[in-house]
Amino acid sequence: MAKNKDEELTQIRKDLKEILVKELSLEDIVPENIRDDDILFGEGLGLDSLDAVEIVVLLQRNFGIEVSDMAKGKEILYSIDTLSRYIYENRKQLS
Amino acid sequence: MNRSKDTERKRGNKFGFWFFQAAVRIFGLSAAYGFLYFVCLYYLLVDRAAVASTMAYIKKRFRTYNILQRILGVYRIFINQGKILIDRYYMISGMGTFDHELHGYEQLNQMMSTSDKGFIILTAHVGSWQVTMNFLKQLNKTVYLLMRPEDNAAIRDFLGIRSDQNNIRIILSHNFLSGVIEAVQALKQGNIVSIMGDRGYGSKSVEVSFLGETVKLPYGAFKIAAAVQCPLIVLLSAKISATKYSIDASHILHPDYNSRANKDAEIKEYVQKFAYILEEYADRYPFQWFVFHDIWGKD
Repeated sequence: MAKNKDEELTQIRKDLKEILVKELSLEDIVPENIRDDDILFGEGLGLDSLDAVEIVVLLQRNFGIEVSDMAKGKEILYSIDTLSRYIYENRKQLS
Repeated sequence: MNRSKDTERKRGNKFGFWFFQAAVRIFGLSAAYGFLYFVCLYYLLVDRAAVASTMAYIKKRFRTYNILQRILGVYRIFINQGKILIDRYYMISGMGTFDHELHGYEQLNQMMSTSDKGFIILTAHVGSWQVTMNFLKQLNKTVYLLMRPEDNAAIRDFLGIRSDQNNIRIILSHNFLSGVIEAVQALKQGNIVSIMGDRGYGSKSVEVSFLGETVKLPYGAFKIAAAVQCPLIVLLSAKISATKYSIDASHILHPDYNSRANKDAEIKEYVQKFAYILEEYADRYPFQWFVFHDIWGKD
């Protein structure tokens, strides 16, 4: 079971990196070069608040989930890894 | 920003507000307007920052004006701002109301009745913000104002927001990621998000043409609208007589981009459309421009 979870998370991270590069037009970034612990906003990927708008939209479009709890928004959208885990947990609830 | 605050303090100190509130109550609206001519003359002489920033606009709007005409133009803007502030008190205190001439209300109503989608209202520092907000209060939707924390208390007081019982809410731009996630969620739930479109206060902006020269206008509202796929309505008001305001909601934009690689350029086109709408307004109501900031300046 743990192996399946790890495999799923790995796939989600991979998909997320590819989607972010494509949807946010991150021209100078290759998905394979993005680290799992890369911070989304400010440092790391260097995204800004307007990119956050697109992330919210692409989460719904690509994964069918929303960031509904504003209080946890900062934690969820901290890094590739935290966002991937959020996707994993919420997709589990939907399926 | 601090300079604007100082400007507002000089032209709007407590004694000044008290004086005009008393003048309206004792002598009526017309007499209170009359006092403005003397008070605004004082500010024309002492408030260098406001004169300079307003003069920047007058020079662009009226390129053939001589120096005396320009000074009179600044004076007229001060007078009009004073009248609108007096009107604001008149309305909030319940002393009376003003007639309205609505433009674009039918198409706005039709849009709301045929779609559950929220939409963005883009406003500007022209005409009467109180009147535009009163108009929004009448719509049967919750309106979220995206604003800076330093404006929060003033805006609540300005609009007479006493509790969360009415349909006006506030999203603070200093919240996580500038409040945009809350704005997106509000739109997805079918609500209205109101954003000021003529000053970014340091947020991302793009260069567009306005009154013949280049200015930077914020593009966040347009990017949000494009991402969420919701309409953006430019809402502007103007005082058209002593007892009447015009409210224009006829400019409905649908920001979108066809190419992700080119999206910034495509969004810029919509910001330019907004600039052209503001030009139309400046052409029609040239002395109700209350930005009080040199938007053509380098800062």
